[in-house]
Amino acid sequence: MKEQLQTYMCPKNKNNFTGYDFVKKSAGIEEYTLVKNSLRVLVLEDHSAPVATFMVTYHVGSRNEAIGYTGSTHLLEHLMFKGSRNFNKEKNTAIWTELQNIGAQINATTWNDRTNYFEVVPSEHLERAIAIEADRMRHAFLKDEDRQPEMTVVRNEFERGENSPFDVLDKNIWATAYQAHPYHHSTIGWRSDIENISTERLKIFYDTYYWPNNATVTVIGDFNKEQALASINKHFSEHSKSINPIPPVYTDEPAQEGPRRITVKRTGQTGIVGVAHKSPKGLHEDTYALQLLGKILADGKTSRLNKLIIDKGLATSIFMYDFPFLDNGLFITYVFLTPGTDHKKIEKTIIKEYNNIIENGVSQEEIRRAQAQIRAMVAFSRDGTYAVASALNEAIAIGDWTFYTNFMENINNVTAEEIKEIAKKYLTEDQSTTGWFIAKEPKA
Amino acid sequence: MGTFSNQVIINNDIKGVKTYVMPTGAKDVITISGSILGGSIHCADKNSKLAALVATMLDKGTVKKDKYEISETLESVGAELNFSSTRYHTHFTGFCLNNDLDTVVSLLAEQLMTPSFSNNELSTLKSRICGNLERDKEDTKKIAMTHFLRRLFPKHHPNYRDTIDESINLVNKITTKDLFAFHKQRYGRGSIKIAAAGDINPEEFNELIIGPLGAWEKKETIIPPIKEKAKDPKESNETINVPDKTSSDLYIGQSIGIDSEHKDYYALMLGVYILGGNFSARLMQTVRDKQGLTYGIGSSISGVSFGADGYWSIWGTFAPDILKKGIKATKEQIDLWFKKGVTGDELSAKKTTINGSYKVSLDSTAGLAGKILSNAEHGRNISYLDKYPKIIENISLSEVNNAIKKYINPNKLYMVSAGTP
Repeated sequence: MKEQLQTYMCPKNKNNFTGYDFVKKSAGIEEYTLVKNSLRVLVLEDHSAPVATFMVTYHVGSRNEAIGYTGSTHLLEHLMFKGSRNFNKEKNTAIWTELQNIGAQINATTWNDRTNYFEVVPSEHLERAIAIEADRMRHAFLKDEDRQPEMTVVRNEFERGENSPFDVLDKNIWATAYQAHPYHHSTIGWRSDIENISTERLKIFYDTYYWPNNATVTVIGDFNKEQALASINKHFSEHSKSINPIPPVYTDEPAQEGPRRITVKRTGQTGIVGVAHKSPKGLHEDTYALQLLGKILADGKTSRLNKLIIDKGLATSIFMYDFPFLDNGLFITYVFLTPGTDHKKIEKTIIKEYNNIIENGVSQEEIRRAQAQIRAMVAFSRDGTYAVASALNEAIAIGDWTFYTNFMENINNVTAEEIKEIAKKYLTEDQSTTGWFIAKEPKA
Repeated sequence: MGTFSNQVIINNDIKGVKTYVMPTGAKDVITISGSILGGSIHCADKNSKLAALVATMLDKGTVKKDKYEISETLESVGAELNFSSTRYHTHFTGFCLNNDLDTVVSLLAEQLMTPSFSNNELSTLKSRICGNLERDKEDTKKIAMTHFLRRLFPKHHPNYRDTIDESINLVNKITTKDLFAFHKQRYGRGSIKIAAAGDINPEEFNELIIGPLGAWEKKETIIPPIKEKAKDPKESNETINVPDKTSSDLYIGQSIGIDSEHKDYYALMLGVYILGGNFSARLMQTVRDKQGLTYGIGSSISGVSFGADGYWSIWGTFAPDILKKGIKATKEQIDLWFKKGVTGDELSAKKTTINGSYKVSLDSTAGLAGKILSNAEHGRNISYLDKYPKIIENISLSEVNNAIKKYINPNKLYMVSAGTP
């Protein structure tokens, strides 16, 4: 394969490239649509290091699954490495070998709202990554003889997760908080579904969602934009749009009408407390205030819960997450207890502090500090081509990549009053799901 | 991108502080990575956990600032300073925006030079560390790894590991008096090396850092000689029962008797990489990809720095009911690798992999600063970073296969698994 990107056309003007419609630009990132098949393409040139990241994000994740085929998005992601028309073992061009032999960092990940495949390559090899991703978009083999051994690989991934008390508690909290919506199940899926999903079902999944009009391609790093766009056009234009419309997820979670609790008991050494509350869709305007509230509560040594819990030796660590998802999510605080610490005491401390914020709000100094933390986090999310791609990937997943580029501005606009309001709106007892991991003594 | 040699500005030992500064195209961000010779090997005769506790206590207060003032200073500009210790060094890393460099450097110097080591903070920290250690009793990987290293190395070897209960006991014995004594003995000018990369002006950085640290007392700059060698390899198997686990962790391997400066090191490293260095290596291609027995399996050489004779190991995870099958498949690959060696094609492909990965690892300021510091810690000239791809390129097939034959003995493997049988 010829490695250097070739020039296939000349731009008519700055943002006008043959085969593409220019859509918009934000923070140096340009969005184009490949006219032939509606593939969305994001481009950012950065010549800091001789490296480029290429990524395809498919707008399909475990939220597109249902009972009987949970985990299929993830299992399909594994099978996508087993070979495609031009890149396979028979031709001595297997995907891993082709990419790892040039030193590429290569992988794929699946989560609630998306599946992404990425390659960080020495920049002279960018075209190889583009060719591989284009080929497997519509020509993956997906053979049953490959699914059989891969199922046990994925099952071991599931088993490794089950070894961790935190992973088990987190799964149980989501499954309790979400009953109808597919966020109910984790991305890895239920064990029996992983074991029994058929290859035919996975093929249906592939043929439903793996189309250019359901994907976003991102290319960042040390390349010539004109040449990179030409290469993407060359390789991806062979695909048509999906034959059928991409099916939407229409299941809404019914309103929660009271607090929920879940307990997991297992042989272990120390306990964990998790307190979760329903949070809004990622693109909702309240997301920014909730992100700041999370920092004020549990990020850094000066955070409120750190002072109340860690500094008193009641826990080994504490962290909270409120990942913005396409649909409603969870605002969760986890506390990993020191031996002898009472679960109830920690749970009460968390709730008391939530109520304190609902009643008294937060200070300007706390907001300023949290904003500074996020400002630095955003700057470091631009340190390296993969860092940018990874952050963009999550924004793409929730439906608007400019969520990433406008994030800081939106964070800067949050007021103390808004934080108090959103605490009152979301941190209510009736919207809560509390989970305890209780460590049992080993059997004699 | 140019070479390291012409891009890294080296301030070689002015006032006992060495700095390596690399301005890059990164916008606004700076990563600082530094170290002092003050790891657990420097307190192994007294209490091997001392170095770690001293490092962790550095952000719990200084003579002038309590821990909240330190945190507020950092958090108000979104910066981070982290301290940790390894076998040989105390490491510090800083992440900040370029506008805040003076604040961060000044605080870094203060934390390194004048920690307060309060009794209350030590007591809270000990309770957290012991809580984490108790949690490690559920971690099948850590349990298997600890057993593996204790079987391969004697107590006073740098690669030896304490058991979890021994560690808890050692942590609980430490007093603030011990912390002050270790800090006085090890922390100072002389061995301190600092690398920084990103949106940075080298002159400005050097002025900021050498100002306070240049006035520090000078300390010892040598690593104590390693008095004991690894135990002789001997075939043995062990199974550790950890209740209620759905996946077992397996280690297989042996000591190799050489360090990273040995002439055969790169040849052996390449051989082990071909066996299990990445997804396209033999173990992942057979035990995972073809047979579906594991989510992950790989092999590597470790514990070879600063004159220590290290080890090679294979680590993998298996469901308890297919562990035996996994071990059998893994051993078949070891035998094949040992008996037939590796091929020219495999070597050629892996050389490209390693050299390409090297380039990809320079993608971020953290990757650059880490690589430059590690190179400096090993006493290597900056030009080594430019020569590294050539060193790898020059290793021959016969050197690799001879190294496998010389340092690997498939009849004397130690194997340990931890999980629920």
